Amino acid sequence: MTAISIAAPPRARRRLPDYTPWLLISPSILLLVALIAFPLLFALKNSFYFWNLQMGPSPMGFIGFDNYKMALSNGMFLDSLKTTLMMTVVGTAVEFTLGLAIALLLLRKLSGIKLTRVLLIMPTTIAPIVVGFLFRYMYDPNGGLIPWLLTSSGIPLPAAGLLGSPSTALWAVLFADIWQWTPFFAIVLYAALLAVPGEIVEAAKIDGISPWKQLLHIKLPLIRKTAMIVVMLRFMQIFNTFDLVVVLTKGGPGTSSRTLGYSLYQAGMVDFNIGLSSAMTWMMVIIVNAIIGLFVFFAFKDWD
Amino acid sequence: MEGSESVAGRLLGYAAMVLLLLIFIGPILWFVLLAIRPAETYFAMPPVLSFTPNWESIRYTFFNPGNNAPQLMNSLIVAVGAVALNLPFSFPAAYALSRYKIRGRKHIMLWYLGLLMAPPVAFLIPYSILASLAGVKGTYFSMILISQTLTIPFSVWLMRSFIDEVPIEIEEAARIDGAGTTTILLKFILPMVMPGLIVTSMFAFVFSWNNAAFPLVLANRSTTTLPVGTLQYFGTAGVTWGFIASAAVAAMIPPMLIFLVLDRYVVRGLTFGSVKG
Repeated sequence: MTAISIAAPPRARRRLPDYTPWLLISPSILLLVALIAFPLLFALKNSFYFWNLQMGPSPMGFIGFDNYKMALSNGMFLDSLKTTLMMTVVGTAVEFTLGLAIALLLLRKLSGIKLTRVLLIMPTTIAPIVVGFLFRYMYDPNGGLIPWLLTSSGIPLPAAGLLGSPSTALWAVLFADIWQWTPFFAIVLYAALLAVPGEIVEAAKIDGISPWKQLLHIKLPLIRKTAMIVVMLRFMQIFNTFDLVVVLTKGGPGTSSRTLGYSLYQAGMVDFNIGLSSAMTWMMVIIVNAIIGLFVFFAFKDWD
Repeated sequence: MEGSESVAGRLLGYAAMVLLLLIFIGPILWFVLLAIRPAETYFAMPPVLSFTPNWESIRYTFFNPGNNAPQLMNSLIVAVGAVALNLPFSFPAAYALSRYKIRGRKHIMLWYLGLLMAPPVAFLIPYSILASLAGVKGTYFSMILISQTLTIPFSVWLMRSFIDEVPIEIEEAARIDGAGTTTILLKFILPMVMPGLIVTSMFAFVFSWNNAAFPLVLANRSTTTLPVGTLQYFGTAGVTWGFIASAAVAAMIPPMLIFLVLDRYVVRGLTFGSVKG
């Protein structure tokens, strides 16, 4: 049978493999490009118009870059960008560090550790909006579990409650995110550390390298690729946060917990200012792409 | 080495384990309790841990009048629809990206990954207006279609990792026998990668099930999904916590069950196939 196919390779079939992968990939790419390009181009056009949905169902006049100027001038955009970056950097760092610590615990041979690992991931499986409901209940200043636990252990709380006080609101939102996603880091880093070859660790032990240095100089560099992927994913997810804020604080009090995502949501879905929200959409999309670009450039240079 | 560990060290390990479960599982159980608490104990402090279960919240949300029961169905329709629509797009793409060393493969993969990191909120207003203009606002179809921006990139990544594991010799032999790409894909790869396809579909289901952003702007009262439907209780006078907890706990259960069933694949699913776990 092989003789037949070798004897008569049809000419057309030799060309075909050049196009086959593209024929297989392109439907998905075309659909995705359509689903993304249409809204983005639509937003680009709207960003140059004055359009408030409460006043009319269609754009009400070309105003050039005024929407962009407005977003940048009243500090709304830059303030929320600053808030968001702070929350994102702190959140990613805390989740990674706690996750790594928990991963090291999961690697120990304790009875019940497997069950712990299986259950530990449960917060990550919950819809973020539901995590918002859960924490709004637990933060309630009049009988919520968290204020009760804190006051019972002698920690003074702001009178307006953790979500109602400008100094704590953002961190209370971030705490909900940390609760949900620390297990994600723990489980992924656990799996990555488990895959580190035993001989390397043994060799390091024989050389008398301390466990702390083993982790920092041998194990972490070995799991760098995995760590970078999860750090990048989480960094972008926290950067894009809006649903937790919608449920927990609506950006308040004042603007203390207004993330970039929530500013966009507020401009469009609360104030119905389509022009302004479209301008902010484009600024956010550019920033997100720039951050992803940096990650890809630094973390994925030697990838695949 | 393990034997050399001190008793104190082990005790500390167990203490940390218990603390972890309290912190990460405790709040979930606390929320489950809220769904079956008598109303007067919602905010009782110190917390009331023993009470006669009160099924009123569950009865109200899911049976009589049962506002959330159709939302549970809607969530199911949208998530199953999103997974079903994604397969014919993502499976061929995952196969091609696994088997062919085409130019720009890395960049195509990173492009898909980039979509998973796009800010959903940036697309809400355009989707909402465009769906109205197209006359599909409020339909399951609009939500299923837009969910593809999540399910396709996710499935391509995860499925590719499963196809990578199928030995190439079988399809090489089939190709020599004259089988075309379609035949190879459907008759040889599909059956072998079926477990991976099911795992991928189940995770994609969770992904779609947990997405609240798109239904928030695309659904109407009768097509809204469970997590978004739960928001309705925040608008009414006072917050009806028992109802919220009952609906929210129901929204939690399917993803949790899927993660428990797919335990061996959880790391792989969470990292889109890049860590085998």
